[in-house]
Amino acid sequence: MFEELLEDIAQSNGLREVNPYLKLAAALGAILLCLLSTSWVAPLAIALLLSLGVLLLARVEPRTYAKLFIAPLSFALVSVLVILLVTGGSGPLWAWNPLPWLSLSLTRESVGEAALVLARMIGGMSALIFLAVTTPMTDLFLVMRQCRLPETVLDLAMMIYRAIFLILDQLVQTYQAQRMRLGYSSFGESVRSLSTLCGSVFIGSWFAGEDLVRAMEARCSAGKFAMLGRIQPVEARPLLAVTAFLAVSAAIVALTGDVTAMQGVP
Amino acid sequence: MEGFLPLQWAVFWWLVALPCLAVGVYQLNRVLSADREALPLLGVTGGFIFILSSLKLPSVTGSSSHPTGTGLSAIAFGPWITAVIGAIVLLFQALFLAHGGLSTLGANIVSMGVAGPLVGWGAYRVLRETRVSMFFTVFLACALTDLFTYIVTSLQLALAFPAEVGGFPSSFIVFLGIFAITQVPLAILEAVILVLVFRYIVQLRPGILIRLKIFPEEKILAVAGEG
Repeated sequence: MFEELLEDIAQSNGLREVNPYLKLAAALGAILLCLLSTSWVAPLAIALLLSLGVLLLARVEPRTYAKLFIAPLSFALVSVLVILLVTGGSGPLWAWNPLPWLSLSLTRESVGEAALVLARMIGGMSALIFLAVTTPMTDLFLVMRQCRLPETVLDLAMMIYRAIFLILDQLVQTYQAQRMRLGYSSFGESVRSLSTLCGSVFIGSWFAGEDLVRAMEARCSAGKFAMLGRIQPVEARPLLAVTAFLAVSAAIVALTGDVTAMQGVP
Repeated sequence: MEGFLPLQWAVFWWLVALPCLAVGVYQLNRVLSADREALPLLGVTGGFIFILSSLKLPSVTGSSSHPTGTGLSAIAFGPWITAVIGAIVLLFQALFLAHGGLSTLGANIVSMGVAGPLVGWGAYRVLRETRVSMFFTVFLACALTDLFTYIVTSLQLALAFPAEVGGFPSSFIVFLGIFAITQVPLAILEAVILVLVFRYIVQLRPGILIRLKIFPEEKILAVAGEG
C-alpha cells in the first residue's frame, strides 16, 4: 500500500508549476461548496470537473486515479447504509423494528439524505485528491511558513515528513527480510515479527533523526529548518481557470438547491 | 472522510480542536527549548503514528478500522502535544494517501489526537506511581487510547446523523457496533505491539525515559538492567 504515495505523483504532475495558493483555493473552495450544497447534483458535478482537471491537466494515470477512490468509498458505503436505515421520514417504504430502541426504515427522506452524503463524499474526496496529486508537500511547507504557522510546528512537521520516508524505507526492507525467513507463517509468528519489526525500525529511525539534529547543530542551526524553493507567481490562465471553476460550481450549487433523490417517485 | 460531516459539525469540531492545539503548541515550545534532543523522538513518533494509522485493515464490516498508535505519544509527551502530532499526521494522511479529509480534520483531531490520548494518558497517570507493572500500564494506556478514539468517532457520527427513533443514542449504538467488532481485537493487538516497542526503548535508551520523567527512575532501571 505504500509503494505509491501521492507525494510521488505530485512531484511530477502537469500542474506542478502552478501557484499553490490557486490550487489550494480550488480544492478548499470545492470542499466548502460540496458541504454547502443541499442537492446531490452539485457535488457530483464538482467531482466531474475536478476529475477532468486531474486527468487532462495534471495528467495523472486514470487507473491510479480510480484506485484512490476505492478505499474511501468502501468506508463511505457502510456509513451511508447506516444513515439510510436510521434516518427517519414520513411514509416509510420499508421498516423493521428489531429492538424497542432501534427502528430501521427506508423512507424518501432517508434515501435523499444518504444520496446527499454520498455525493458530498465523492465531491470532497475528488477535491482532496486534486490537492494531493497536484501540490507537493514541500510547496505547502512554504505556504505554511508564509501563513505564519508557529516555527516549532513547522519544524516538527518537517521532522515527521522526513521520518515517514525513513521509516517506510527500513520497514519495507526489514519486512521483506522477515518474510523470506518465514516470519509471517503463523499468527503468533506474525505478532512476534511485527513487534520486532516496529521496535527495530522505531529505534533505527530515531537514531537517524538524532544524527540529523546533531549534524544541524554542528552547523550552528538555531532550530529552524531552512527552506529553499520559491512560490510560483500567479499566472493569468490558471487564475482564470480557478475563478471559472469556482464560479460555475457555485452557480450549480445555487441552481440545483432543491433537487433531491427520488423526487419523481410518488 | 471528506464531505461526510455536515458543515456545522465540521466547524464545531474545528472549534473544539483549536484550543487543544494551542495548548499543545505552547507545551511543544517549552519542551523543545528545554531539550532540543526531543525533536527526533517527536518526529519518529509522528512517523510511526502515520504508518500505523495508515494500516487500514480489511474488516468484517467493511468500515475503516486501523490502529492509531497515539498511545505511546500520549505517555511520552502528554495529550496536548499528541494533539499537535496527530494534527500534522492527519494532514499528511489526507495529502499523501487521501485518507481522511480537510473539513473533517477538526473532528479527527478531536477523536484521535485529543480524546483518545487524554483517556490513555489518564490511565497512565493513575497507574504510574502504583505497583502495577510498567508494561501493563503501557498496554492499558495504548489499548484505551485506541478504543476511546473509536468511541468518540462513533459519537461524532451519531451526533451528526441521529436516528429517527431513539435519536442520538440509538444511532450511537449502531455506529459503535460497527466499529467495535473490528476495533476491540485491533486495540489489543496494537497495545501488545506498542508495549514491545516500549520495551525496546527501555532496554536501549533508558536515559531519555528518565529525563522525560515517564516512569519513576527505579522502575525503568530495574527493567533496563535485566534486558
